[in-house]
Amino acid sequence: MLDTKKVGSVMIVGGGVTGMQTALDLADSGYYVYLVEKSGAIGGAMAQLDKTFPTNDCSM
Amino acid sequence: MNFEPKIVAFCCNWCSYAAADLAGTARMQYPHNVRIVRVMCSGMVHPEFVMNALSQGADGVMILG
Amino acid sequence: MTLSEVAGIAGSAGDFTVTVKEAPRYVDVNKCIACGACTEKCPKKVDSEYDAATGKRKAIYVKYAQAVPLKYQIDPNSCIRLKKPGACGFCETVCDAGAINFDDTEKIHEINVGAIVLAPGFEVYDPKDAGVWGYGTFPNVITSLQLERYLSASGPTEGHLVRPSDGKPVNKVAFLQCIGSRDENLCGNGYCSSVCCMYAIKEAVIAKDHVPGLGASIFYMDMRTHGKEFDQYMERAKEDAGVRFVRCRVNGVETDGDSDDLRLSYVNEAGRQVEEFYDLVVLSVGLQTPKHVLELADKADIKLTADNFAATSDFAPVQTSRQGIFTCGAFAGPKDIPQSVVEGSAAAAAVADLLAPARFELSTEASFPLEKDVSADEPRIGVFVCHCGSNIAGVVDVKAVEEYAATLPDVVYVERNLFSCSQDTQDMITKRIQEQNLNRIVIAACTPRTHEPLFRETLKSAGLNEYLVEMANIRNHNAWVHSAEPKAATSKANDLVRMAVAKVAYSNSLRPISVPISQKGLIIGGGVSGMTAALNMAEQGFEAHLVERTDTLGGNALHLKHTWSGEHVPTAVAKLIDKVVLHDKVIIHKEFEVTHVEGFVGNFKSTITGKDGSKKIIEHGAGIVATGAEPYIPTEYNYDSITRVVTSVQFDKLYELNEVHVKKAKNFVFIQCVGSREEDNMYCSKVCCTHSVQSAIALKKDNPGRNIYILYRDMRTYGQREALYREARKLGVIFINYELHGKPNVRENGQVIDVEVWDHVLHRPLILNADMVILATAIRPMGDASKLGALYKVPVDGDGFFQEAHAKLRPVDFSTDGMFVAGLAHYPKPIEESVAQALAASARAVTLLSKKEVSLDAIKATVDETHCDGCALCVDVCPYHAITLVEKKTDDGADAGKIILVNKAQCKGCGLCQGTCPKRGVYVAGFTMNQINAQIRAALAA
Repeated sequence: MLDTKKVGSVMIVGGGVTGMQTALDLADSGYYVYLVEKSGAIGGAMAQLDKTFPTNDCSM
Repeated sequence: MNFEPKIVAFCCNWCSYAAADLAGTARMQYPHNVRIVRVMCSGMVHPEFVMNALSQGADGVMILG
Repeated sequence: MTLSEVAGIAGSAGDFTVTVKEAPRYVDVNKCIACGACTEKCPKKVDSEYDAATGKRKAIYVKYAQAVPLKYQIDPNSCIRLKKPGACGFCETVCDAGAINFDDTEKIHEINVGAIVLAPGFEVYDPKDAGVWGYGTFPNVITSLQLERYLSASGPTEGHLVRPSDGKPVNKVAFLQCIGSRDENLCGNGYCSSVCCMYAIKEAVIAKDHVPGLGASIFYMDMRTHGKEFDQYMERAKEDAGVRFVRCRVNGVETDGDSDDLRLSYVNEAGRQVEEFYDLVVLSVGLQTPKHVLELADKADIKLTADNFAATSDFAPVQTSRQGIFTCGAFAGPKDIPQSVVEGSAAAAAVADLLAPARFELSTEASFPLEKDVSADEPRIGVFVCHCGSNIAGVVDVKAVEEYAATLPDVVYVERNLFSCSQDTQDMITKRIQEQNLNRIVIAACTPRTHEPLFRETLKSAGLNEYLVEMANIRNHNAWVHSAEPKAATSKANDLVRMAVAKVAYSNSLRPISVPISQKGLIIGGGVSGMTAALNMAEQGFEAHLVERTDTLGGNALHLKHTWSGEHVPTAVAKLIDKVVLHDKVIIHKEFEVTHVEGFVGNFKSTITGKDGSKKIIEHGAGIVATGAEPYIPTEYNYDSITRVVTSVQFDKLYELNEVHVKKAKNFVFIQCVGSREEDNMYCSKVCCTHSVQSAIALKKDNPGRNIYILYRDMRTYGQREALYREARKLGVIFINYELHGKPNVRENGQVIDVEVWDHVLHRPLILNADMVILATAIRPMGDASKLGALYKVPVDGDGFFQEAHAKLRPVDFSTDGMFVAGLAHYPKPIEESVAQALAASARAVTLLSKKEVSLDAIKATVDETHCDGCALCVDVCPYHAITLVEKKTDDGADAGKIILVNKAQCKGCGLCQGTCPKRGVYVAGFTMNQINAQIRAALAA
């Protein structure tokens, strides 16, 4: 594997809470990240939730 | 009665100041008498600030955090 | 990249070319300022996807108020203009920024990447398809996602819970569980969606909060609240909030005559047919993989499970069947938010493992001109007043503000901008700073919370210290909230500008604090979690010190045989141990324990002490706690006195050895929740239901003539494990439910063991004659967890497990920077979840370790040596333990009393010290007493 080409960038498909976490961690550790989201804004399903357990704090 | 009080509000950057921003985004209307001073935490508000505000003419002080 | 989809993937791990199709937005994101004028004018209304069709949106819209990017978009399927050229076009006319572009077209991008992560998420099941719950027919039958929107303050009813049919208040609400889950007949989804029990309880509690006196009932088969602190939440919902739980499957939902009330019929636990009436019925809809994601999987050429989720191994939970393509979140199996976030980080770790040689190859850092020293200069303040299109200028008389600002002391330059944040204005401000020799800047525009970083960059590119800028928030705190009172708003804008000018005059140049990092990791605990984290860190190129208290690596996994999906644990663990032992960057310290810790993020110094008393000091930038957990040794069910009453782990060993008692036994009774979900241990051990079901299946398969009973409280074979539960039932394993107040009774009766349990169907006690009783015993936290916790200043929760920083969003971080948690030390969990969390902990640690130094914001507490007299009042109030009291020396070395010392790496700039100090001995840079006093004075000056 050592002699094969490795590109220092990553594509993440899906801009929900999961994809965003991956994107942040990779960008924070030295990789160029493309975050591809199908809809007009990131946030995914969590942004639709009113409040979350356990503290019932706002999910925004 | 034409009394318009002057209120100084100390707002924490992480919660109440953000809430005041959101009130704007939501176009909520409220009286214009309040002047917000941004602080990094309501715990930063020294008693001296409150005294100064009151002695310099504030009719009320709010500390939101 | 929004509105974008993957069209094709070529190449292989390390070097993929991905074709991405970007749909037209018809709004130029560089011009759109999200003022909302277009949406206001747009005449076309359609159902809002965001509000799950409970509310409406326009054809030009923003997905939701806090969307990122906060840019509008036109939906081509509903826009009048895009469907009929020449028509409508109102949005284009009202857009001050000129952002509307009806001629926008689809773009195709070819992107070269080293790895791909698929995190496309889920869709909720559409209950219309099945037709039995009246969804789509009766207006008062809604989905749980719709209820979320109704309960939300930003939702269609602003958080007021009313009936959709007539707007009447809701007095009684019913939740029906497992809609689109655990049901192969109606929906084809045999798996459990894992999240619905918990969200239904949460929604019931919040709905009861909104409507005092509301009756809320949850109709369920098994309550699967297996997550951390979930059972406690359920108990509170039951006891404190008064939510009613009914174990049954509801037969159907009907309307009651002409009213919109809903009639539920079901068979209760006593076997009686019951009818009840409700105002509102909420369907707890499950998660499923959407069609477009199945197509994506096809394009990516990865394998799926029978339930249509991405296929992964339990020991590599984020690796798909294709090298270089990873997955995480609900696409890798239905799961809740914390587990999704964990997997998000885990995928980052797996990618970084693959691409370690290419780190920093493509990431770039901006460069800035040399900074000018302005400390000795008189303030020369420049004020830039933003119109924000019509957002500010439509209410505030910006020209008057401009004129007023020019009269303020030290202000030498004032200018108005249409959009201060646009790139051309940025360039212009840079130019003005240099031309006019400005050394303090006020931006009167929007909120510093979103835009201060941008203007700091502007100052930097002009060669000015980035902390010499202050924002006056004349939009969010003024124009937007006083839109009906333009005069008052203008006068308030003047006040806000005056306050900012007064403050910035006292601003000083500040330097971000830079702390060097020791680029090594310390992992405490040599089980599967610890080894996985250490190996990943090492593969990424960082030295990983693995500390194990015993003389063996492997931890609890050494006692396990199979994962839930049937993978052989001993083989996988042996392989993992080999890799860890052979890796030259993993340094193993067996029979060592951490005994002393100094330092903080980036610079920990941990002393480890060996069994033989020898000590080593390890310097490390980050640490991972993976200390595992212990099995509960039962005292109940006569475990002590009857030899054929065994724990599940003991049973596994006997079974594997083909021990004679097991071989000959005909009747087996499994008892669940031994030591879990009761009294002081109100948590679910998460793995035991699946474990017992797996053992039962094996026993039945060996000999179908055996009688196998599983006595349970709720069967928690969550997610795709449900297939095992289904199989066990098909094989004839008998499941008998018991309640906490009616625990089974176990006693020896000659050759057999009598197990007495209450039969809910027959309403009398039932006695099972067992040859062997297997206790599904709990997982207990390590007894000395809090001792280790105290060393690193990381907390344990009420149950004794380590407490993460945030239950949802930071599930592997501790609140202490630089420390992370993984595996059973955090909460009971199966192997694949431990592995995911270990990878996640490594990824989070590497975000620190990959840097040579951390740069911290300069907003920090600073000691004023002339005023501080070492009274130490601030030491106790500092929530971050950043302040210590030290001896003060005069220049010639003589004792000069005491003074405080602030550790800038630990300080978060909250200023509790400043608020406490009676002598002005400590202040927070950027928020000094002078600055804030000046602001107060200015606020009240008019």
